[in-house]
Amino acid sequence: MVKRELKNSVSEEETALDVANENGKRPIQSSNKDGPKRMKTKSLYRQPTAAELNRLQETENLFNSNLFRLQVEEVLQEVKVKEKTVKRFQEWYNILKSHLISIPEDVKEYDLTEKAFEKHLKVKLPVTNEIRKSKVIFRFHKFTDVEIVGSYMLGCSIDSKLVIDLQITVPAETYTKNDSVNYKYHLKRAAYLAYIASHLRKLESIEEIKYTYLHNCSTKPLIHVKPNGKLGNHLSVHINLVCDSDTYKLHRFSPTRNNLRESWLLSVEQQEGADVGPPTPHYNSSVLTDLTAAENQTFLNETLVNKENLKQAIILLKIWVRQRKLQVSGHVMSMLIAYLVQMKRINNIMSSYQIVRNVWIYLKSSEWDTKGISLHKGQDTPSMEEFHTHFPIVFLDRSGYYNVCWQMCKGTYFALRRESGLAVDMLDNGKINSFIPLFMTPVSILMQFDHILKFKNFPKLKQAILDRAPKSSKVNYGLDQLALVTDTLYDLLSKGLGERAHLILQIVEEEFSWPVTKTVNNAKKNGYVENLSFGFILDAVNAISVVDRGPPANLPDAELFRAFWGDKSELRRFQDGAITEACVWDARALAERRAVPRQLVNYLLALKYDIPSTELYHICSQLDELTARKSAGGQQMEESALAVLQAFDELRRDLRALSQLPLDISAVYGISPVFSYCEPFPALGINLDRNPRRRANASLIKELHNAKLPEYTPVNKAIVELSHSGKWPGELDAFRCLKAAFHLQIAERLSSQHALPAHAYPAHVDVLRNGLVFRLQVAHPKEITLVRREVERGVVRHKESEESAALQCDTVLMPRLRGALHGLHQKHPAFGPAVCLFVRWLSCQLLGDHWPRSVSELLVGAVFTLPAPLQPPAQPAAALYRALKLLATTDWSTHMLAIDFNDDMSREDITELERKFAGRENQTPYLFIATAYDGPQPSVWSRRSPTKQVVLRTQLVARGTLDYLEKALLVDMVDSILPAFVPSLSGYDVLIYLQKRLVPHCTERLDAAQSSLAEEAVVDDVIPVVEFHPVDRYLDELRSAYGEFALFFHDRYGGDVIAVLWKPDVKEIKEFQTLNANALEQVSVGGETKYRVNKEAIVEDFQILGDGLVKEVIINK
Amino acid sequence: MKSNKRTHDFRALELKISEQSISPHTIYFKEHSVREHSSDKPSGRTLFIVNVPPYADEKGLKNAFSEAGTVNSVIFATKPNAEIQSEKFTKETCKLSFKVCYLVFKKVSELNKALELTELRPMNSNGHEIIVGMKKWIQEHNAAVELPQVLKERIETFMKTHDNKTQSEQKQEKQLEQQDDEGWITVTKGGKVQSFARTEKVESKIMAKEESKKKRKELKNFYTFQIRETKMKHIVSLRQKFEEDKKKIVQIKQSRRFKPF
Repeated sequence: MVKRELKNSVSEEETALDVANENGKRPIQSSNKDGPKRMKTKSLYRQPTAAELNRLQETENLFNSNLFRLQVEEVLQEVKVKEKTVKRFQEWYNILKSHLISIPEDVKEYDLTEKAFEKHLKVKLPVTNEIRKSKVIFRFHKFTDVEIVGSYMLGCSIDSKLVIDLQITVPAETYTKNDSVNYKYHLKRAAYLAYIASHLRKLESIEEIKYTYLHNCSTKPLIHVKPNGKLGNHLSVHINLVCDSDTYKLHRFSPTRNNLRESWLLSVEQQEGADVGPPTPHYNSSVLTDLTAAENQTFLNETLVNKENLKQAIILLKIWVRQRKLQVSGHVMSMLIAYLVQMKRINNIMSSYQIVRNVWIYLKSSEWDTKGISLHKGQDTPSMEEFHTHFPIVFLDRSGYYNVCWQMCKGTYFALRRESGLAVDMLDNGKINSFIPLFMTPVSILMQFDHILKFKNFPKLKQAILDRAPKSSKVNYGLDQLALVTDTLYDLLSKGLGERAHLILQIVEEEFSWPVTKTVNNAKKNGYVENLSFGFILDAVNAISVVDRGPPANLPDAELFRAFWGDKSELRRFQDGAITEACVWDARALAERRAVPRQLVNYLLALKYDIPSTELYHICSQLDELTARKSAGGQQMEESALAVLQAFDELRRDLRALSQLPLDISAVYGISPVFSYCEPFPALGINLDRNPRRRANASLIKELHNAKLPEYTPVNKAIVELSHSGKWPGELDAFRCLKAAFHLQIAERLSSQHALPAHAYPAHVDVLRNGLVFRLQVAHPKEITLVRREVERGVVRHKESEESAALQCDTVLMPRLRGALHGLHQKHPAFGPAVCLFVRWLSCQLLGDHWPRSVSELLVGAVFTLPAPLQPPAQPAAALYRALKLLATTDWSTHMLAIDFNDDMSREDITELERKFAGRENQTPYLFIATAYDGPQPSVWSRRSPTKQVVLRTQLVARGTLDYLEKALLVDMVDSILPAFVPSLSGYDVLIYLQKRLVPHCTERLDAAQSSLAEEAVVDDVIPVVEFHPVDRYLDELRSAYGEFALFFHDRYGGDVIAVLWKPDVKEIKEFQTLNANALEQVSVGGETKYRVNKEAIVEDFQILGDGLVKEVIINK
Repeated sequence: MKSNKRTHDFRALELKISEQSISPHTIYFKEHSVREHSSDKPSGRTLFIVNVPPYADEKGLKNAFSEAGTVNSVIFATKPNAEIQSEKFTKETCKLSFKVCYLVFKKVSELNKALELTELRPMNSNGHEIIVGMKKWIQEHNAAVELPQVLKERIETFMKTHDNKTQSEQKQEKQLEQQDDEGWITVTKGGKVQSFARTEKVESKIMAKEESKKKRKELKNFYTFQIRETKMKHIVSLRQKFEEDKKKIVQIKQSRRFKPF
């Protein structure tokens, strides 16, 4: 261990040297010293120096952490407060300080219940009206000094939204002995603050002066100062008041003591002889925080002075916390570091990376909710148990009386602990560059949580909770009502959701500040809305359970269970014979079951606080209707896909049992998206055509003039592998002919042996099972080889072509990928629906045809396989948001994704892929997503599309969608977010409107109404008309004929319009060439005959080719 | 200038699909003249057309040029001088695109007349209508459904001709094995003389074998310079790794610039 540390410190020096190199400071020096001769030998083969040898050797051993450390250095450099700012601030501070010091002593005494004081100062006190009930006489005693405290003083501040804390110690004589109770202390402190504020108002070097709260705690106001000039853009200053540590004895504020009288708070007459009332630890802490500030500050100073590595670690941790928006202050983080130093778990010899890692490992296994920690040495203070009974989270300071985490909600602590665990996992995962997700990726609310609960009428809820809160907790929290509400709701939700949620976290709004000339109540009236919301990270398995099992009926716990759940709780007998109390939720389909938490929360809040569900807003299942089959009574995608999978399993069994085939069937693989639950509209297995026109076992489309077109029926494709044989012909056409013969035989045997209607085609067999059509295709690797084969000068060569690549994808790679995706769906049940949502989103934005299905699936798969810094989502909607975010924020020209489904890829494989990615030709494929199943060509699925232009366009749309969603969901709380799925048709050159009745899936459009399926008998002896998609055929023709002139956009799922965009070069004047005369018309330019693409004729062609389908063609001006 | 001269030969006329067409495509045509004429494109009677719209069919073009005279045959191709594919078992559906076309007239005079035309008749005339859109797709879909017997017959006839072909090829190879006039024997894979398959794979295998043979003869770590070189190579690989590492940092720096917020 010691040896290793030594080594590390050496390499750190080297790293520092190297960084300096990169900043461009050193090379000038070295080139001067060594002259041109050195330049020549600066190749890879130059003679190494001993130091370099050392460094290289270490690089080899500590490659990963070295890369990590280089990045750490970079980011620390970036967040360091700039020297210019420091200098400017120092000047500014000197002016401020001398101004503050010059405030004269004031001998006059004021009664704070009257307005005279405020009138005199011309500023308002930063307190609410409730606090001013007691009569308090205030006199301003001059303070002695102003200090800079906090992170800026310690040297661990972050140069972004930098806040510098100034601290003024209020002299002890300001407060009388009795001021510690009933908020008199707070009132006096506020008066003192106002006194200082009134003096600061005159100072010219201050641009803006406001009040704000420390950590949103309404009993701790501060002065928020914005310096004038450029300095104001970089930082702001908080002026905080603390008191002399000898103002009060600390034990007066022990957690068991009462300092807030019930009679005062609730304005009732105090009964004579009544005891002092319940303990008020929360109130006590609000005084203690001032009393102990000085001691803790000195302690931190002592621990951290000149300990650069510790400070760097604090900065890193602060960045990490801020990226996650956790309500953990830098002060707590510094105290934690100090604690770990005290415990000898970390020290300054360690590198910042090692310290941070140790902190995470410590936090991961810490239990501050049951086994708190203390910085105090000695036995003379209240016991730890005492603190635990009064605080959810315990971390005692140096004095042993003050709980540093007194405001911390359990949820926050659990989130911190959970994130630490994730951070350690990320560090240990060698396959990703963990630095980026740990420190560089901000986590937004919408991405982070599976389910978010918001309140439409928060004041009502707050009142309801306050009315029902027990007196003791009311007294305890005093005027800090938000904390009371938060804690109560947290307890209720965590008890109600139980195992369903991994984490419940309160989300608090932005910090609140107001001008010094306004009272708090006035300021709150205009603009500021107090609000609260909760985010849940759900457990994918437990969250969908429909039964909450309670204790057996005969145990005393059952009574408690009943009391908690009310009427919902009922006695139930389970399959294992147990009779217990249980709550049963009403949900059948998987989509409904995913919404059980919503049902549960609605029920609990209605039961406990009479809040109707209309006043609650859940962000969870808004998008469910996109995966529901509207034309089939809203059947969910997952249920129909399951039916297909079951039928396929049966068919597989039938196929294996086939006899009298020349070769046995060895394996059958499904390749359609439906086999991994990735198809928004799976085949339903309903044949509505009662009187089909048939040929053999297949139906034909009636060619009569006004015959109704059959409903679009997709087939479910599968690959059939035959047992090995060496007798396949060595010529492609003969091979395919033999394949056709096999198809014929399979069809024949299926009909005769299993009585399944089957029909053979040269390239595949269609077979009907349970009303569903499966398309089987015999595949053999030899076919791929034959397609690749080429004879050149008598030598047989194998050359990759688009045809062979496509064949390989379909027959070899797709079965493997589909299997992996199916596995992914089994592991993360939100995967399939998430793909469906993403595919529908793409399609709705008319981009669906430009994104191969497998690429969309892989992109969504990346959300689940590469979730860092988060965990895989449990809700499809959350997965969609993350997929959009991933798509929108990644720079695809420099970043690739390596998706590892089952740990098939090693670190070396990924490095190899990265090399290939960096060396790819002219950025193709632009979107690079590699898997372990890509065969010889990595990122095979995106080899042709999406193109760079399409990706950039999709990124733009995704960004727009995300902006809209954030606003609609988090701010406006709208009921329907489907506008995110409506494309804009402006910007396209030509719009082709289609006959709606001929468009497949037109009953599934966003604006279509839900209808139930007319129950009709299934014709079971004939295969219906399958895969007849007029729009697809039309688009195919358009793309093959006019693809060089224009791009075509269409919504696969019921879109009745095709949008056309001319390629930029169609406007150009061209020369005539025999080989390139397509669609050219003659134009005369300056008397000469030139040529140009005949756009008008092409537009007319759109109409001609789509005869019968096209309603009208409109040219956008 | 060169291209201008070439376009001079072409005549340009608008080709309408029906009388109602407002903005039709312009087709360009001239007499088909290449050095080697094949029998299906006889010289003097063949008209070469480029920029034929995707949907145009044989009858339609015959109609268009019906004023010039009788058209014997119409040959479509995607490119000029494309080889005509031999009969295959799997019919590849030809993709819709602009094409070139060879129109063979009955008489030479008719070709000359065609080159003098000032207007073409619409393709949909003389009771002909080009099948497009829904009608075409329905027909295609229905045509793809074959009766099993028909498919079976096709397979059998194809396999028969294929077998015949391979047999005759084998016979030819056997004949090649015989000594020719000058005493040369051609070595084929079917013959008595042992030979290896002439494929890329086999060739590279042989080359690799040769290479390894050469390597085995070589002495390693024998001369001092060799030892020095291996050491140097090790350092170089380490350096490369380090360089790569640094490059990565630079790349990240460029894209994210290490600004966390």
